[in-house]
Amino acid sequence: MRLRRSELAAAALTLILAWIVIYPILVVAGAAADKTAIGAFLGRPGEWAALWASVWISLLSVVLAAAIGIPLAFLFEWFDFPGRKTLGSLVALPVVLPPLVGVIAFLFLYGESGFIARAVQAALHLESAPWRLQGPAAILLVHAYSMYVYFYLFTRAGLAKLDVSMLEAAQALGADRRATLWRVIVPLLRPSLVGAAMLTFMTALGSFSAPYIFGGGFRVMTTQIVATKLNGDLPLAMVETVALALVAVIGLVILRRTEGDDILVALGKGIAPRPRPIRRRSVRILTAGLGWGLAVLLLLPHLTLALVSLVPYGAWTTEILPPVINLDNYRRLFSEAERLRPMLNSLWMAAASTAAAVALALAGGWFVVRRRVALRRAIEALLALPWALPGTVFGIALAITFSVHAPLQLRFVLVGTALILPLAYLVRGLPLTGRGILAAYRQLDPALEEAAASLGAGRWRTLVRVTLPQLKPGLMAGASLAFVAALGDIVASIVLYTYETRPVSIEILSSLRLAETGVAAAFGVVLMVVSAIVLGVGARR
Amino acid sequence: MSEPFLRIQAIEKRWSHDVTVGPITLDIARGEILAMLGPSGSGKTTMLRLLAGFETADGGRIVVAGEDVTTLPAARRRFGMVFQHYALFPHLDVGENVAFGLQGSGKGDAGRVKQKISEALTLVDLAGFERRKVHELSGGQQQRVALARALAPEPRVLLLDEPLSNLDPALRERTRHELREVIKRVGITTVFVTHEQEEAFDLGDRIAVLNQGRLEQAGTPDALYEHPANLFVATFVGRANVFRGDAARALGSNGKSVLVVRPERLRFADAGLPGVVRERRYVGAGAFFLIEGDDHQRFEVLAEPDAARVGERVYVEATRVIAL
Repeated sequence: MRLRRSELAAAALTLILAWIVIYPILVVAGAAADKTAIGAFLGRPGEWAALWASVWISLLSVVLAAAIGIPLAFLFEWFDFPGRKTLGSLVALPVVLPPLVGVIAFLFLYGESGFIARAVQAALHLESAPWRLQGPAAILLVHAYSMYVYFYLFTRAGLAKLDVSMLEAAQALGADRRATLWRVIVPLLRPSLVGAAMLTFMTALGSFSAPYIFGGGFRVMTTQIVATKLNGDLPLAMVETVALALVAVIGLVILRRTEGDDILVALGKGIAPRPRPIRRRSVRILTAGLGWGLAVLLLLPHLTLALVSLVPYGAWTTEILPPVINLDNYRRLFSEAERLRPMLNSLWMAAASTAAAVALALAGGWFVVRRRVALRRAIEALLALPWALPGTVFGIALAITFSVHAPLQLRFVLVGTALILPLAYLVRGLPLTGRGILAAYRQLDPALEEAAASLGAGRWRTLVRVTLPQLKPGLMAGASLAFVAALGDIVASIVLYTYETRPVSIEILSSLRLAETGVAAAFGVVLMVVSAIVLGVGARR
Repeated sequence: MSEPFLRIQAIEKRWSHDVTVGPITLDIARGEILAMLGPSGSGKTTMLRLLAGFETADGGRIVVAGEDVTTLPAARRRFGMVFQHYALFPHLDVGENVAFGLQGSGKGDAGRVKQKISEALTLVDLAGFERRKVHELSGGQQQRVALARALAPEPRVLLLDEPLSNLDPALRERTRHELREVIKRVGITTVFVTHEQEEAFDLGDRIAVLNQGRLEQAGTPDALYEHPANLFVATFVGRANVFRGDAARALGSNGKSVLVVRPERLRFADAGLPGVVRERRYVGAGAFFLIEGDDHQRFEVLAEPDAARVGERVYVEATRVIAL
């Protein structure tokens, strides 16, 4: 009897998830089957160019991110030098930056009116800025800067799982260092590397801020879709959305096939190789110097952002360094109601969507792992799906689906209300909370819950006293990621916001448009600090 | 035997069409320690989980002290359980683990709960361990905390799942005696599962031998060893040589076709069953001699270490046989 009840509840959960995750996509796919719109899409070279740009930008982003991230991971995992620990965590820093914040930090640092351009201009007495940070090169630069972290973290995690006895076995069997690397280490790292490549590809494909700010006339699919939507050509926007979704799916399928099983997990844990101290003095100094230089390079955008946020409006014109700095921008941020509003909006919408995403993932984890319901694969797939599609796709899908009042089709007018953005954030947060909670659930020994039951604890007490404390690390990690993603979101927000519900990211864009760089930077700093605190709390054990 | 305290009546679990456990019927007296012994896949763990209430039975009844608990959820059954890997809550300390089952009853004041924790820990010789972290304890200590936690709420029945399998062999024998002593001191009716015959003999008052989901035989260790009900019990419990046909007749079979003889119940003689010594395995108190009979059947004899040499032709007679 109990089994039947949980099957029914699982079916209800599946329906809810399907309604918010896949139904809007199906609505868009159905509506996109429109002859004239498809004809328009196929007939315009601009569309094909944008699609192709999305693909090659994403592929090149993977290559660049790998080229930076993998060597860094080996350096930090295998060699010991002064400052290894501190630097090792600093290197992961760009992940803390919400994409939009990273992009504007880059703009202030490397842009045509950024520090470096000003310095070069002053040094060479040039008439105008020495370069413009624009087009594909600028996009790739930002992508490489923010996405190498995936390769860095995945490779380090993979290396940390390597069993030192495996490397010793290879040596005992007569393999030299090169052979050990290519025949043992690389094959064992493959799942980690493919995982990082998938994540980078998906992130780059869905990237919006960098192409939006730096693209200029160069369009990728995400910016193309938003432009078409703003132009009011909904049918074409829908076709574009479907095209982008297809590219994402095809990319994932191809990468998936090269993944293979995670053999390191199958083998269980071994003892990771200890980092080797670098003996030669000159090499040590060189490595440490390079490391610290790198740290400065990585921190520079953050520092720039902080500095720009201290420059009052209109005070900085042609000087290399700002003539005045004070807390004016922050004062305005926190004292003017209209500036405080986006902050409060973002905070409550991120909190609400995260709470809902945690609740759904907890229910999902219980059904999938504990009850092993018939629908467990469907639930798991629905929880993971939003990860596989760019945020723009969901933004458009929700905008189309929930702008119509048709209760029989389960469509309601949510666009323009305060609910639509939290809903979009919730959908985007599901894979993050879902992954964390499902993994934690799988590691949770069922005997613990049985032990609680045999000691007389009912379901509620078992959940609160035993299950949740055990799930806490995974739950907190997933929740903090979802919260930070929602807090800094721009892709879905830009399609769905209204003036009343505008989040911080939109406010940053409009500040930039009004040339209020100081305010924009101050918003960015606040986002960055809040994100760092939340992620810090989430990573605590 | 007075009215049995725990009655298992035709209990049954159907996992799938061809995998079923039961129906099994078994009565357990108050204060008795029953060992469920069987190879892996015999259904002994399923039986234990049915008793604990973690699985629901597809047929039959479980009755404790006259109360039918078959459909009662685990949380209200008041059966204490010690898990194979102990299942101590890692986020709670030793004292909080032991207290977990005490708070469920609610009304008890803090002082009384504290008193009970201290009593339970003293019982397992861990007095003063309240504030220790679970992961700081050794395997043996964890096992005792698990026992204290299970006993603290004064359950009606104590269930133990392979209680000693996680300890290293040197510790196992000592722990076995301590475990039996604690259980007997508390006087609680106990069912435990094991796949090791020695453990079952040492710890159990009575042993239920399970195989392929069926109860083969239940009885005292002596009864199982001396009077096994069938060939499975005879060979699973203790070492056994199985003889058929001419070999059986040579050992004095009275017409029955299968004869089971323990190695220590065979001895070398001047006449009897002929064979050649193939191997000699010295075990201190004696030596096992592996004999190959003329029909190429092999069997073992436990005798004095110098009773025979490898390659020697010998005759074997039985001092006691089990005819099946």
